Amino acid sequence: MAKTILVVDDSASLRQVVSIALKGAGYDVIEACDGRDALAKLTGQKIHLIISDVNMPNMDGITFVKEAKQKPEYKFTPVIMLTTEAGEDKKQAGQAAGAKAWVVKPFQPTQMLTAVSKLVLP
Amino acid sequence: MDLDDALKTYIIESRELLEQMEDALLRIEQAQDDPEIINAIFRAAHTIKGSAGLFGLEYIVAFTHVAESVLDKVRGNALHIDPELVALLLESGDHIGTLVEHAAQGDEPDADSERHGAELIARLNTYLGHRDEQTAAKGGMPVEHAPQIEREGGHSVATDNWHISLRFGKDVLRNGMDPLSFVRYLGTLGRIIRIVTVVEAVPPISQLDAESCHLGFEISFQSDADKATIEGAFEFVRDDCLVHIMPPHSKVAEYLDLIRDLPEEEMKLGEMLVKCGTLTLDELKKALQKQADWQRPIGEVLLENNIVRPEVVAAALDKQKQVKDSKTVENNLIRVDAEKLDQLINLIGELTIASAGTALVAQRAGISELQEAASTLSRLVEEVRDTALTLRMVQIGGTFNRFQRVVRDVSKELGKDIELVISGAETELDKTVVEKIGDPLTHLVRNSMDHGIESAEVRLAGGKPAKGTLRLNAYHDSGSIVIEVGDDGGGLKKEKILQKAIEKGLVAPDANLSDKEIFNLIFEAGFSTADTVSNLSGRGVGMDVVRRNINALRGSIDIESEPGAGTTIRIRLPLTLAIIDGFLVGVGSSSFVIPLDLVVECIELSEEDKYAAEARNYLSLRGQVLPYMRLRDLFDVKGERVRRENVVVVQYGNARAGLVVDTLQGEFQTVIKPMGRIFSHVNGIGGSTILGSGEVALILDVPRLVQRVTTQVEKNGLELA
Repeated sequence: MAKTILVVDDSASLRQVVSIALKGAGYDVIEACDGRDALAKLTGQKIHLIISDVNMPNMDGITFVKEAKQKPEYKFTPVIMLTTEAGEDKKQAGQAAGAKAWVVKPFQPTQMLTAVSKLVLP
Repeated sequence: MDLDDALKTYIIESRELLEQMEDALLRIEQAQDDPEIINAIFRAAHTIKGSAGLFGLEYIVAFTHVAESVLDKVRGNALHIDPELVALLLESGDHIGTLVEHAAQGDEPDADSERHGAELIARLNTYLGHRDEQTAAKGGMPVEHAPQIEREGGHSVATDNWHISLRFGKDVLRNGMDPLSFVRYLGTLGRIIRIVTVVEAVPPISQLDAESCHLGFEISFQSDADKATIEGAFEFVRDDCLVHIMPPHSKVAEYLDLIRDLPEEEMKLGEMLVKCGTLTLDELKKALQKQADWQRPIGEVLLENNIVRPEVVAAALDKQKQVKDSKTVENNLIRVDAEKLDQLINLIGELTIASAGTALVAQRAGISELQEAASTLSRLVEEVRDTALTLRMVQIGGTFNRFQRVVRDVSKELGKDIELVISGAETELDKTVVEKIGDPLTHLVRNSMDHGIESAEVRLAGGKPAKGTLRLNAYHDSGSIVIEVGDDGGGLKKEKILQKAIEKGLVAPDANLSDKEIFNLIFEAGFSTADTVSNLSGRGVGMDVVRRNINALRGSIDIESEPGAGTTIRIRLPLTLAIIDGFLVGVGSSSFVIPLDLVVECIELSEEDKYAAEARNYLSLRGQVLPYMRLRDLFDVKGERVRRENVVVVQYGNARAGLVVDTLQGEFQTVIKPMGRIFSHVNGIGGSTILGSGEVALILDVPRLVQRVTTQVEKNGLELA
């Protein structure tokens, strides 16, 4: 069965590009437009990887990851945070929240795929 | 360093370690709990294992690893050492010895020793089992025991796989990182030949936290990817995972080649290793941190942590040294304070005089041994003098090259296209001269560019290339150095110069001047030929200053010019200003020194020649006209004339002249002492020197004398037969 990846970003175009790339590589993709939306979509199903932006309306990525990790089903789910280069302090906050993998924006779809496959192969 | 050499070193080292281990094992029965001895045994096994890994001697690694594990327990007081264990360890030591000998012969252990090894491993494992019994369940992990890494390829250099050691941190799982995912990803980069799970860190089941990771992996990995790519697989766990990647042997050869091919420039060791790919930037960063803590060379840190193979480090160090060596050859110069050199030269001057004095006294004393000793001394002093003088010699190239910029700037300013051609840059001359020649040369160069080289239109009209050429040339010529500043410009205009000189009252209107004399008029004070004064050459500093500067250096300047073809100004300078080889001559009771370099030959002036010469004002030297001068007359020396006079033939530049003296007294090392200002008007004297006897001798200014003699002859016209 294909692995499922949750993609959280407030940019619809980014979600689209990422999800096309991921689907093309053989993953299933669930999209969410912000932290709150994403949290609502975590309903106990198996999620193999979460890709989340940091700066989003309603609920930012770091809060979202913290919240997600509270749920027993997602405690061990790997997280890739998307960040801009300048966000070193954000990065530390994110790591404290349990997101160890970071991909710097802007990125090529292939870069994203490589990063994903290091954590979850399709 | 050759790999085979390194292996030999390893074999020798291992034998020694095994002996030490045996020795310690035998002692431990008496000194039961001495931690030092146990430590020594452990260290021996550990070192043998560690180095074996570097050579791909997996069969040694595998076996020694088990023995080491047991020893580690003893060391950690988890296991009590008893005679039985000592016996087993001794036997194990012997077996390691056997394996090492196999490695020495370059073959693999035979079936017998393999069986023996397996048996020993089983027995050693029972000791390891003591504690493992409680943790036997191990969460159902498929666990292979370390010994089963065994050898792959076996041979010392045959292993052609990457070796990756992974030790995951406790928190990786909690961080959402599944160790397995990285291993799986690794599988996409190449082929995982063998993977061994390291479970040493797994605690007893009672203390086991299912959310913590205690696992490590030893992976044998076959891939064409480079080290950075492989390391990249563990990018996300870098912070909480120890990753240790050892390249395969074929890679090592590649690294060695790469290091050898690195450009010949100074590089830090780490830099070189990163460049050739054996070290990744991340590894380097970590190693540098460690280095800061340990205060040890980076190479040692890298080796200690088995990050880089020793042979690669050795190659890099070799390369570094080689680069440094070639650098030091280039810069094999020492800077010395010029003042110190001057002081040395002064002292040598005094030494020269003292040595001459000694020689004189020795001669007077008439003791042959003393004379011999004195002559040896003077010969050595002479050599010392020559060597010391060469210390002050510098190449003129540096001075010449400064003019590249001058010519570029000035030609831009003038709107002329002028190229500077330098030759003879390697010609050496005294540093003092070099320092003082800069200004006159600048003036000459600017003058040539301004007045000498015509504008492009004029040049083209004259059938010359639009681009003007300025030449700077230097060469040695009979004891002097000649510096030429030449241009391919319009040449000097005789009539114009003469006219101007007459206008300015420099020469009488009816003067009959040779070409040379006309040209030399431009060196007279207050002379300027250019119709318009540009800001370059018309700054009030005329060519007369140039000549004065050159004369102050005991040099001379002269001009050669051809209309339409260009002008060459030739500066002739003495090689050195301090000490020269002189030729001592006597006139009456006075002594004079002629610089030996300028002496061509000495002839005897016979009575008949004397009268003939006096009649026509020149000597005949083998049929050639030789203008001459009588020093006795010139310096008005009193005293009776000697019957047999001598002629010293001197040459300066192209001119020759004869100087008539009373006696020839031979070669003499002359320390030049400048004349006081009061004597500056005395013509024909360039300086003074002190003889061995303490008397003063005057040094003849040969260039001046030659000029005087030859012009006199030219003026009076030659009454050639």
